[in-house]
Amino acid sequence: MPESAVLLPLIIIFSGALLSALFGLPWLNRRLTVTQLSWLLALAPLSSFCILVSFLDNLQANLILSWQVAWLPSIGLIAGLYLDSLSGLFGLLITLIGTLVIIYAGQYFKGDRSAWRFLTYMLLFMGAMLGLVMAGDVLTLFIFWEATSIISFLLVAYKYNDETARRGAFKALFITGGGGIALLIGLLFVSHVCGSTSFITILASGDLLRNSTFYPVILALVALGGFTKSAQFPFHIWLPDAMSAPTPASAYLHSATMVKGGIYLMARLNPVLGQTEIWFWLLTLVGMATMLAGAYLGLKQNDLKSLLAYSTISQLGMLMVMIGQDIEIAFKALVIGILAHALYKSALFMVAGIVDHQTGTRDLRRLGGLRRSMPYTFGVGAIAALSMAGLPPLFGFLAKETLLATAFHPSLPNMVAWIFTLASIVTGALMFTLAVMLLWDTFMGEPRDPTVRGHEAPKTMVLAPAIPAIMSLILAQLPGPKDEAALLANAARAAHGFKVKVSLALWTGLNVPLLLSALAISSGVALFIYREQVREFQARLAPRLTFNTLYDGILATIDRSASWATRLQQGKLRTYLVIILAGTVMLFIGFRGLSLELDLSVMRWPSLSFSGEMAILRIFALFLIVGASLASIVVGSDFTAILALCASGFGIAGLMVLESAPDVALVQIVVDILAMVILVLALARLPRLQRLKAQDVTFRQSPAGLGRDALIAVVSGVMVMLITLSALLSRSRQSVVTPFYQANAKTMVGSKSIVGAIIADFRGLDTLIEIGVFSLAGLGIYTLLRYAARKFGDTGSQLDELPVPSAPPFPTLGIGGQKPSSFIRVLAYVALPVAMVIGVTDIMYGHDQPGDGFTAGVIISLAVGFWYVVFGYDETRRRLNWLKASPLIAAGILLAIFTGIMAAFINGNFFSNVDFGHMLGLPLPKGFHLSTSFLFELAICLSVLGSVTHMLNTLGHPGEKDTENTRRLQEIEELEKQ
Amino acid sequence: MELLTAIAIGILFAIGVFQLLRRNIIRSAIGLIILANAVNLFLLSTGAYIGVEPAYVSNTTGVLSDALPQALILTAIVISMGGTAFVLSMLYIISARYKTSDMDEIDGLKN
Repeated sequence: MPESAVLLPLIIIFSGALLSALFGLPWLNRRLTVTQLSWLLALAPLSSFCILVSFLDNLQANLILSWQVAWLPSIGLIAGLYLDSLSGLFGLLITLIGTLVIIYAGQYFKGDRSAWRFLTYMLLFMGAMLGLVMAGDVLTLFIFWEATSIISFLLVAYKYNDETARRGAFKALFITGGGGIALLIGLLFVSHVCGSTSFITILASGDLLRNSTFYPVILALVALGGFTKSAQFPFHIWLPDAMSAPTPASAYLHSATMVKGGIYLMARLNPVLGQTEIWFWLLTLVGMATMLAGAYLGLKQNDLKSLLAYSTISQLGMLMVMIGQDIEIAFKALVIGILAHALYKSALFMVAGIVDHQTGTRDLRRLGGLRRSMPYTFGVGAIAALSMAGLPPLFGFLAKETLLATAFHPSLPNMVAWIFTLASIVTGALMFTLAVMLLWDTFMGEPRDPTVRGHEAPKTMVLAPAIPAIMSLILAQLPGPKDEAALLANAARAAHGFKVKVSLALWTGLNVPLLLSALAISSGVALFIYREQVREFQARLAPRLTFNTLYDGILATIDRSASWATRLQQGKLRTYLVIILAGTVMLFIGFRGLSLELDLSVMRWPSLSFSGEMAILRIFALFLIVGASLASIVVGSDFTAILALCASGFGIAGLMVLESAPDVALVQIVVDILAMVILVLALARLPRLQRLKAQDVTFRQSPAGLGRDALIAVVSGVMVMLITLSALLSRSRQSVVTPFYQANAKTMVGSKSIVGAIIADFRGLDTLIEIGVFSLAGLGIYTLLRYAARKFGDTGSQLDELPVPSAPPFPTLGIGGQKPSSFIRVLAYVALPVAMVIGVTDIMYGHDQPGDGFTAGVIISLAVGFWYVVFGYDETRRRLNWLKASPLIAAGILLAIFTGIMAAFINGNFFSNVDFGHMLGLPLPKGFHLSTSFLFELAICLSVLGSVTHMLNTLGHPGEKDTENTRRLQEIEELEKQ
Repeated sequence: MELLTAIAIGILFAIGVFQLLRRNIIRSAIGLIILANAVNLFLLSTGAYIGVEPAYVSNTTGVLSDALPQALILTAIVISMGGTAFVLSMLYIISARYKTSDMDEIDGLKN
């Protein structure tokens, strides 16, 4: 079996989640009912369960399965999975109970068409949880750990219209997420000490960790993570509030999975972090407090699910105590406790869900007497509750016996042993009372509220809790369930670090634990009989200050300090800009300004000759750039300013020609024009009055304000100048990588243009991302303007649905509402095909001559932009209705990725060059290569064309406020009539 | 020559910042483009003055100009173009939302 087989259970479950998400599509959603969908999806965890079982043979021999992949090998990061008996035990519980819960959810959400969302979350959670227990290194563990926190947030807040659900979800995320951050830091410390993030190394460096100076820090941080996740005192407050989750989620998250994550973590790290004094005290004290607090508070509850939540807290506390002990029997108690609790608690949650589902209430004060109307549910509930109560012959009895045996173990310090035994008896008694109370008040006696009537739930819904309930009966009965015992023994050994003997024999003879157990049960009976009095007493004793008050206080403080901090915000965009820029300038002056080393002696002054540098032309270009930019400040009209800007851009293009960079110059020219077109379109889209008003106030501010702006501008200008000088003078003249490009452009890429080779091949991935960004800009503009239109009442919202007039006259005219002359119209007609020819030529011969896919795309788009200017919005959209922006973008990006992958298949390198024309011996024109570079350039052209089309379509849309156009149109029509 | 280029870049940057701080929203957009131009010019200048011939393999007569900064500027131009267009649409939305193109009347960041 290959090592990567370990991945299989995870892949199956995540595919299930994907499948479930697909059922969000209406046409697929109609095909299956929720129940059918749940049966289908349950196959995913079921098959994962089977695969894990098939791994059992390996696990029983106490082998581990591990799989690793180098993630960032240069900094020693790996990602991997690790499966041993401990992970296996958790994995089996996760997938088994997961299967049942999915089926159960199918019944619970019967008829709810949107339940695919719930099932998707559940499967995602399942995958994350499985990943958590199977993680092979600390980072994988942390990622899955956080994933469980986040998905549990989504599950708890599933009924997002309900405020308590949202609050509960936030609380859970706040506490477990905070713990997660602590855990991350702790785990980073661990891997720092061990020198590796892999568990294989970490689990072998116990002494290193325990003797490290960081040990107390690591312990505190890791424990914080584990305690918050496992709802240990005082972090337990999130669990009861998380009960606002739909019951299938509670049955899964809060019995066998989410909260057990913390237990798993502590058990996993126990062999390396444990066996120390501080570990013992920390886990024992916190666990014991949790154990008692959970059981005590549980007795106060009237809600079925809250009661279960508190008993879960108590149980988790007990498991935490077990991990803290350094004796063999504690780990027997740990694994049996995990298994027993997962079985009976998931069953009880599901039973509570059935009761809620069938009667409409979970309030113990209203329920009662349901045994007659819901006999099967009663039967299942009885088995599970008696297991929780710790009565023989159920598995829960075994769990309690081993717990008591641990508490009474002679190796414990005297004082601790007494307190521990006492705490175990009290908890045992309280758990007994809780279980019996839950069973009695729901099913026995007469209904307290006569309006509450129930009828039996569908068979499958009862079947789901029946399986774990029956398992807790059978597991305790089998004469020698060897396999289970062996798995448990190995799991306990993984958690303990030493061999642990586990037998599942129910009767171990008349001994002290049995007597203690009897004592606990009899006190439980007494408590149950006098429960009303006890609860009254509890209500009087209720402290005013709880941890929830503290939690609320912390949140309120955060809110208050946030609003205090934001009082500084005064809300004006320009002030923020001033602050940001002034801050940057000050940072520069403070840190770097004085230490810039300027070696002016290496500087070359312009030599006024035409032989080498054409210095005069360069100086002229620089003057043009600076002068035109300056003009953009001083001119009064915005439109003139845009023209000045355009001139400045041309100056830059000229400088690029002089610097012998023809490719760049070409792109600069087309982009400069495009920028101007888009600026003018945006300007034209603003309402005229608003535009003029803003134009008037360009410089209207106090002299001091103007001075401040000028100062900031001048200082940042000087700063940039100094940085530039220092960069230009202190760097080596000779580039290190350029010679490689020069030498290999022709041989490796088959391109004479070195710049083109870099763009299309050497840095192809860069270019792919670049067109991705550019496409996103186009899509973003489209989305933004549509959104704005819907929000602020502009016709743009119907950009797609806008009725396109079928025949002239078209309602909008060119820019400014002018009707262009026939000459210009003909010119525009001709421009587009010519631009396309130029574009295609650009792509075909871009290898050897200036020009590339980007230029081609922009040139074609410019012709389209010209149409907008000449014909106006409506006519252009009508005549160019084949120009579909989003499909073009999609086609471009897909083609680019496809090209890269194709090259990877042929050459083994993503985006390497493959010349198909040469390969196939096609008769192609000279200088044209049908190669991957050509396809890639074509892809760039398509996506750029699509993106610019989006920009033009949205910014070029006249908007309803532009009444000027319509008025002009009417005038023209009237003139024509005359 | 480096000094002149550096001064030109510095002035361009100052102009860009000054424009960015105008009350008129269109001028802010112009300021952004000028800033992008300044950066492109900076990139260009890092590769300048080495060779005088365009970076083509077929050019065998002189020293080839440095192709790497050129390729980087090419990318930078495209990205800044996309960014500018996006910022423009955002500025447009801000104008539409506040029914003004005067930055001093836009104070919605407060709420």
